[in-house]
Amino acid sequence: MKQLFKFLMLLFLVITTRNVAYAQKVINVQGTVLEKSTNQGLPGVNIAMGNPLKTVGTTNGKGVFSINVPDNAELTFSYIGFQVQKIKLNNRNMLRVVLYESNNDLKAVVVVGYTPKVKEVSTGATTTISGKSLQDVPVANVLELLQGKVAGLNIQNNTGSPGARGSIFVRGLSNIDIQGSGSDAFLTPTSPLFVIDGVPLDANSNYEYGFSQGGPGISPLSLIPPEDVEEVTVLKDAQATSLYGSQGAYGVILITTKRGKSKTPIIQYTTNFFVNTPPKLKQVIGGKGERDQRLWQILNYDKSIYEARKRIDGDPFLADSLNAFYNNSTDWQNVFFRTTYNQSHNINASGGDQKFNYKVNVGYYDEKGIVENTGLKRYSLGMNVLYQPNDKFRLFSNVSSALGVSKKGSGNGIQQGGVASGSSASSLLPPPSLFGNSSDANGVLIVDNNNKTANIKTNLEARYQFLNSLAVTSVVNYDYNTGTEDTFKPAILSNNSSDLYAYNDRKSTLYNRNMINYTETFNSFHNLSFFVFNEMYIRNYQAQVINQARTPNDQYQGPLGFNGLNSKGGVLNSYSDSRSAAIAASLSYNFDKKYIIDLSYRLDGVSSSGPDVPWSKNPSVGLRWNFNKEKFLSKLKWLDYGSLRGSWGKNIVPVGTVFDAFGAYNFSGAYNGSQAIGINFDKLPNTTLTPTITTQFNAGIDFGLLDGKYQLTFDTYYKMVDNQLRSKALADHNGFGSVKTNEVSLVNYGYEMSLTVRPLAKESKVNWTVSFNGAINKDVLTKLPDAVRQILQKDVNTGQSILYRLGRNSLSNVLYNTKGIYANSEAVAVDPVTGLKYRTTNAGNTVFFQGGDPYWADLNGDYILDERDQVIAGNSFPQITGGISSFFSFKNYSLNVNMSYTLKRDILNNALAERFQNFSNPQEQNNLVPINNYAFWKTSGNVAAYPNPYDFLRYSSYLPYRLDQTLFQEDGSYLKINTVTVAYTFDRKFAQRLGITSMRVYCTGNNLYTFTNYSGPDPENVTDLGRDNSKGYPSRRSYSLGLNVQF
Amino acid sequence: MIHKKYFLLYVIPLVLTAVMGIACKKLLPADRDSFSLEARFTQTIYKPVLGRTTLMTKNFDAQSSSLPLTFRILNPRNSEGQIAPELIKPFDVQVWKKAYTGTEQSLEEIEAKRAIEKHPLFEIREHSGEFILWSAANNSTLKSLPDSGYTFDVEVTNNGGRRFFNNMQLQPFKERAYEPNSMDPLTGANANSPIRPNIMMGMKGERTSSDLSANDVNVYMNRIGDGNSITFRFLDTLSRPMDPSKFNLTKWDKLVHGFKMEKTSTYVKYEVAYPIPLVELPTAYTTVDGRQAFVGFTYERLGFGGIKETAGMAFNFSIYQKGAWEVVFWFNRDNPKFANE
Repeated sequence: MKQLFKFLMLLFLVITTRNVAYAQKVINVQGTVLEKSTNQGLPGVNIAMGNPLKTVGTTNGKGVFSINVPDNAELTFSYIGFQVQKIKLNNRNMLRVVLYESNNDLKAVVVVGYTPKVKEVSTGATTTISGKSLQDVPVANVLELLQGKVAGLNIQNNTGSPGARGSIFVRGLSNIDIQGSGSDAFLTPTSPLFVIDGVPLDANSNYEYGFSQGGPGISPLSLIPPEDVEEVTVLKDAQATSLYGSQGAYGVILITTKRGKSKTPIIQYTTNFFVNTPPKLKQVIGGKGERDQRLWQILNYDKSIYEARKRIDGDPFLADSLNAFYNNSTDWQNVFFRTTYNQSHNINASGGDQKFNYKVNVGYYDEKGIVENTGLKRYSLGMNVLYQPNDKFRLFSNVSSALGVSKKGSGNGIQQGGVASGSSASSLLPPPSLFGNSSDANGVLIVDNNNKTANIKTNLEARYQFLNSLAVTSVVNYDYNTGTEDTFKPAILSNNSSDLYAYNDRKSTLYNRNMINYTETFNSFHNLSFFVFNEMYIRNYQAQVINQARTPNDQYQGPLGFNGLNSKGGVLNSYSDSRSAAIAASLSYNFDKKYIIDLSYRLDGVSSSGPDVPWSKNPSVGLRWNFNKEKFLSKLKWLDYGSLRGSWGKNIVPVGTVFDAFGAYNFSGAYNGSQAIGINFDKLPNTTLTPTITTQFNAGIDFGLLDGKYQLTFDTYYKMVDNQLRSKALADHNGFGSVKTNEVSLVNYGYEMSLTVRPLAKESKVNWTVSFNGAINKDVLTKLPDAVRQILQKDVNTGQSILYRLGRNSLSNVLYNTKGIYANSEAVAVDPVTGLKYRTTNAGNTVFFQGGDPYWADLNGDYILDERDQVIAGNSFPQITGGISSFFSFKNYSLNVNMSYTLKRDILNNALAERFQNFSNPQEQNNLVPINNYAFWKTSGNVAAYPNPYDFLRYSSYLPYRLDQTLFQEDGSYLKINTVTVAYTFDRKFAQRLGITSMRVYCTGNNLYTFTNYSGPDPENVTDLGRDNSKGYPSRRSYSLGLNVQF
Repeated sequence: MIHKKYFLLYVIPLVLTAVMGIACKKLLPADRDSFSLEARFTQTIYKPVLGRTTLMTKNFDAQSSSLPLTFRILNPRNSEGQIAPELIKPFDVQVWKKAYTGTEQSLEEIEAKRAIEKHPLFEIREHSGEFILWSAANNSTLKSLPDSGYTFDVEVTNNGGRRFFNNMQLQPFKERAYEPNSMDPLTGANANSPIRPNIMMGMKGERTSSDLSANDVNVYMNRIGDGNSITFRFLDTLSRPMDPSKFNLTKWDKLVHGFKMEKTSTYVKYEVAYPIPLVELPTAYTTVDGRQAFVGFTYERLGFGGIKETAGMAFNFSIYQKGAWEVVFWFNRDNPKFANE
């Protein structure tokens, strides 16, 4: 955009300086300018003629123009993102101009380091996605749609919870720290920095997947209406992100919203009606079938028939035939999962020219979750204004605000434990009612939960160009976010004790940047650009909670009358107040846009750095050679463009808090009757704490062949992520409990490729573009605290420990190696020394393995299975990711298909293991899933894939379906059809008869099908650590019908 | 020109990629095992008893080392510092091939589960670090205490490191062919203090009508020759054989895991497999923990006043050496009263 303004500005200058008179006959020419792929009018297309070019007009909101020009003029139609079209008038006065989308990637403008640049002269690795490809699918979080679109951007939409976000990784893993344990264990999020219309937004802090603390669980990214997105730019390498230095180490994603660009105001209305359906639910054995299964198991596997009879008769759940619910069969999943009907509306009004333009976007989005009692509503209002009275002064401001209202049911942002335990109840139990014994289920249905997140972003940017080559820019923006959560659990849910939980937080970011910019061209070949800026952030965050127990009744929910002893409240210890300041300089030089060099250097100070190392120094270098401009290649017709790039640079991300670096004073008890403040001995201050630093090398090549038919970008990188924060326990004689240090490093290296093919001829009526991208990423751990070679992070809940080991992928599972199932007892190995069979001990009981038991490798050969026999297995981080998309249009129809894939990733299928585990105790009131289609061991001699699930007496001693075994580690590769959109654009004449400029209807299916060999429900709906636990919120499939009308 | 074009388009990026790939990999640490310098043997002097297959477990603490480690015995030397070939030389040892269950129906069936293999008498398990002293090691093959025994080194490796644990010691005790016994572990001299049964229950003296206690019975375990048998005899105070049938409640066929029972009025004899018990596994023939064989001899009689009295004695024992063994119970003070009142 900005490039356009610059361009126009220059034109303006030229026009005013040279007044050339033409003496030809002047005629009035009318016509429309259409966009090739959509067949819709293009507003704001610049029409120019003459040499040098002189603007003679622009198209209006409908793409229509009417100009007075000489009869033999050659008109030049230009529009950002489209190929320039030149047309000789030859006395015609009606024109229908079709603009082709620009196939030359290099002419696109990218904003790298706060200044717009043509991609041709940018040395970093960047990818730009047009907002158009994101707007036909109604989703809460626009990032969901970027999946598979950018090579090296690994997005896993691992939760279906409306308003939550999946995980985002740019070029691999950036942090190995794991918080929580069991199925709640999660990787410290390292999503890239988002910059929305120049306002930086840190998506990591205070949104740790909604687990670690309270809060509404709405990702700030879910507050951006996708309809308002003009384009998304992903900056991947160190050069591209260098000037976002103090935050940019994990990559940067720039989101630009729409601007006004038509003199006639345009009003665009977009609506979607969409149906969300739950995925295929698991089959369950119901009613009598379930009881028969339990009886069969007891009768066959108890010690004797007498014991079995005793066990059954002593258990009314199985034996009480007079119970009214004796043959009951409750479909628990149906209680929780539902199909929902949802809608979204968005109005975008914009207009203006390069002197003054504006945009207002109003949106409403309502999605009800496929789990009862969950959902998200978003109300948004965004506007921006650009005022440029002359070519010296420019003022841009934007304000956007959004309110998200969500319901989480009884879970948190991502996990739905209540649903998981509720829907895995026995079908023999009565359906949920207040008088039944199913508090989990009731919890899901009647907990009153209401969450709000409100966000306002304001941005003001002023630029004054006091000399032709010297300009000053100043930017101030403020981002304020507040979240509240109100949850009320009625008394009947927990033993007549109601529970009120009220949470609120507020978070603000104030940002300021002042920049002096010098741009000059010498001898028309040497282009030089130099700028210096300073930058600062002030961030505040604080959260409070009030938790009152036993309110007087369910109607009177406080503030008085609660039980003071069981109630608590106050400020949470996650509060923070952080600053960062930076000074940076950047120099860009290019020779005739052929040889380009970018240099930048910045000094960053962040308040969480230790006092001994307050500043980090972040240099970067970028080089580019556009070899197609060399004389010997410029003659080649088949080569559109070609260039080689290389860059090196450093970036940081602040980690830890000011307390990690400086220590803390805290209330330390009473002394002499007065309160005392003393040093907090939990954490030893680390005065040399530094931010996490990434150092990245990047080499890339871009070329386009045969007039846009083939476009290829290839990048390879080597990225070191050093100084990761990790807590280290201290020996007790140190006085302090632990210290946070920067002693973890890892390296990511990989290759990224994206290829765009337009197989059909340019003149063809059919427009077809196929894009393919893929990235291979390998990560290697290179440093651990205290220079150890490995650390085993034990997981006490599931036993699925993680091993950090130098020279290996950063996250390795440590599991028992299941080599098969013993067909019979003779197959079990015997200790030649003691004559005893291979055995194991759990909770004091020793069992010898027998037929039907899993054969776990005895690694150390002592004929005893214990944790010393675990092996390192698998890599839970996806190694190959990418996507395929196809856009096809013919006349008024278009078809858009997007697919994404993830290859080489290991998933621990806990969901399947738990299914089998449900058979471990026939008296437990859980659900039973038919397992007949799994080849499990039934009788002696069976060659089976799964062990015998029925041997309930021995079960607890040897845990055949333990989670920590390679039996449940599966390949989680998948190819997913993300979206398919079929659109139809109505004829202009038909539309105009209705009094509108254009009308388009479309149908979209989202999350349609996943091709995979994985045996679990969804290979994507797993945690970042590759654990498929049954508590996750399943991803919905949605079908939508949309309408897009432009007035 | 054409060549140059191809060169630029294909060769340069390929070379760049390859160079970067190779150069970068060199900087990365190798994927090697962790080897903790604090890993150690928790026991450095081993004192097994000769003549018994002994597995010495839980003797290595790997700390944070990557498992499995590989262990090797090096330089076994005797008390004079000379290389000890007897520890290295392979001997015929009896190893288990299939699991003993305690339900085998014949001696052949048991023997089919075992085989003779060549092994050094003293071994270390390759990956667990557990030591094995095979039962073929006896007084005549190995030096035993009070000789200071053997000294050896152990090399522990994984691909991340290597460490030698020097001067570990093996100081075997002399053979004690059966338990319980009163032999001195160091010298092997038998103090001949009497062995008593473990349980005496309700047995009354024929002469004195007093309760018989464990001190009233001496047990002798004698190896009377080669073979594969065990014989139980009962002697009265005058060392005259008693009829085993008098212990009329005794389940003679379940007494020991033996076959071809030969029961006469003076003894009961079985063909058995040695050692007894074969495996440390609870079976019908062993104590509850499976560590020793358990034999119980019980009878019933009509007591004073016509009350039925059940009485008997039980004895736990182990025999490690193969042979024709005899277990003799001698009532040293009074004979048990079998007759009804």
